[in-house]
Amino acid sequence: MAKHATPLLDELEKGPWPSFVTDMKRQAETHPECWDILGQLELSYKDKITHWKHGGIVGVFGYGGGIVGRYSDVPKKFPGVEHFHTVRIAQPSGLYYSTKNLRALMDLWDKYGSGMTNMHGSTGDMIFLGTRTENLEPLFWDLTHDLDQDLGGSGSNLRTPSCCLGESRCEWSCYDTQDVCYHLTMHYQDEIHRPAFPYKFKFKFSGCPNDCVAAIARSDFALLGTWKDDIRINQAAVKEYVAGNYPSNGGAHAGGDWGKFDIKKEVINLCPTGCMWMEGDELKIDNAECNRCMHCINVMPRALKPGKEKGATVCVGAKAPILDGAQFATMVIPFIEVSKENEYENLIDVIEQIWDWWMEVGKNRERVGETMQRVGLPTFLRVMEIDAMPQHVKEPRSNPYVFWKEEEVEGGWERDVQAFRRKHAA
Amino acid sequence: MAMSIEEVEAAIIAKATKSPKPQLYIKDFYECDTERKPRDIKKIANALVTKGKMMFWSSGSTTMYALPERIKNEENAEGIN
Ligand code: HEM
Ligand code: SF4
Ligand code: SF4
Repeated sequence: MAKHATPLLDELEKGPWPSFVTDMKRQAETHPECWDILGQLELSYKDKITHWKHGGIVGVFGYGGGIVGRYSDVPKKFPGVEHFHTVRIAQPSGLYYSTKNLRALMDLWDKYGSGMTNMHGSTGDMIFLGTRTENLEPLFWDLTHDLDQDLGGSGSNLRTPSCCLGESRCEWSCYDTQDVCYHLTMHYQDEIHRPAFPYKFKFKFSGCPNDCVAAIARSDFALLGTWKDDIRINQAAVKEYVAGNYPSNGGAHAGGDWGKFDIKKEVINLCPTGCMWMEGDELKIDNAECNRCMHCINVMPRALKPGKEKGATVCVGAKAPILDGAQFATMVIPFIEVSKENEYENLIDVIEQIWDWWMEVGKNRERVGETMQRVGLPTFLRVMEIDAMPQHVKEPRSNPYVFWKEEEVEGGWERDVQAFRRKHAA
Repeated sequence: MAMSIEEVEAAIIAKATKSPKPQLYIKDFYECDTERKPRDIKKIANALVTKGKMMFWSSGSTTMYALPERIKNEENAEGIN
């Protein structure tokens, strides 16, 4: 039986879609504190203001992250949510759980918390929603000792790195995303578990420009797989697509009646750089113009493949709003080798060059993308010791002035003003 | 003369004692030894937490540092989102 009347929330159970209200009512049968979440949310809908208090000093010993303290500001009314802390559980690379592992995690959470989860949070972790301070240490003990799993990052820490499933299943992957993700997770344990920066910092790894983990929109350091040489074309397979013998997009859109496959309409005319054409029944690509958007490869996977000289593009500085609104990451390094052989030393150098600068110059609660915006890309490139190149140019300049640095001007800034005035006497 | 780790620790604690607000950002401690890189200051501050001389205070999105005796319990810690 419902503990609180929730007429406003009940509205959300109407309609054909699944409802979190229904789920929470079901959960409340075994975890009565869930009634109080519903009760408090109903009150928030009425009052039009949140009743969660943010912040505090909760955590597990030795870690400065992984637990986000949450308290009700109306605990007398809703004692079940007096404490309702969130626990971040580091997810496996590529989100490969065994059912055994999932069951063990759920049993653990049924024992120590509300049993409610969020699969997965935007950072990438599995999120356990709602427990009391006194349950944190026992939960952490069981998680690390019995399940051999760890908490993720929160606060001003390096956040839990995340990746697409990469080479484990995807033929487009241009580097081993899971290995890079795991390696850097182990390499930066201190940064993940203890605050390290003026604000949060996120790594995300996608094996190709399709960017299945949305690294370019969500991470301060986005590594997107790419290739240097030419798209590999199998002309025989192109003919099969044209003849309608192979389903386009791997059959992903087979549900609708789109008519006969039209390579001109569906591939060539949609190429954003206009670098494809047919010569007779042969497909041609001017690879120097291709920007690796993946469209043609996505449509005709049996005919087209990324090139063989693979690596990644480094984009820096995505964020969702706090100060200035959302922004995508900026392309900084068009191509970087990604190799197990050197244990990703070159990536680590780039990362630490960003960190050393941002920790110094970044303001409190300023993401690296905001710092970049504040100083401008040319300054950031100088910090990174990268020469500006055409790929860095987003649009024609809007500032008519050219700023010289002193060392670029003969004689520097010093000059004899008196001598100048004598020459141009009034 | 470069400062020893103990001297940097003492400067960090002095700063956290004198600050008007109990919670401080990591950046507030950089000035405790300007010859060290920010990442090294961060390591010293985090080690103070492990030793129990300082504590973390988190808003969820930002982590700050405080002296335990200046934060009695979470109820009077000032919240920021
Ligand atoms: C004491 C005399 C003068 C004063 C105080 C003066 C002042 C100025 C100022 C303030 C500007 C705007 C600069 C800017 O874009 O920020 C300007 C532009 C200009 N002035 Fe003069 N000016 C003087 C004499 C002259 C003379 C004698 C000529 C031509 C024979 C001239 C031709 C121009 C031209 C063509 C521009 C536009 C420049 C451009 O578009 O970049 N000025 N002047
Ligand atoms: S980002 Fe690319 S490589 Fe990774 S899973 Fe998606 S399509 Fe495959
Ligand atoms: S990957 Fe994109 S830009 Fe490159 S040829 Fe294919 S459609 Fe054109």
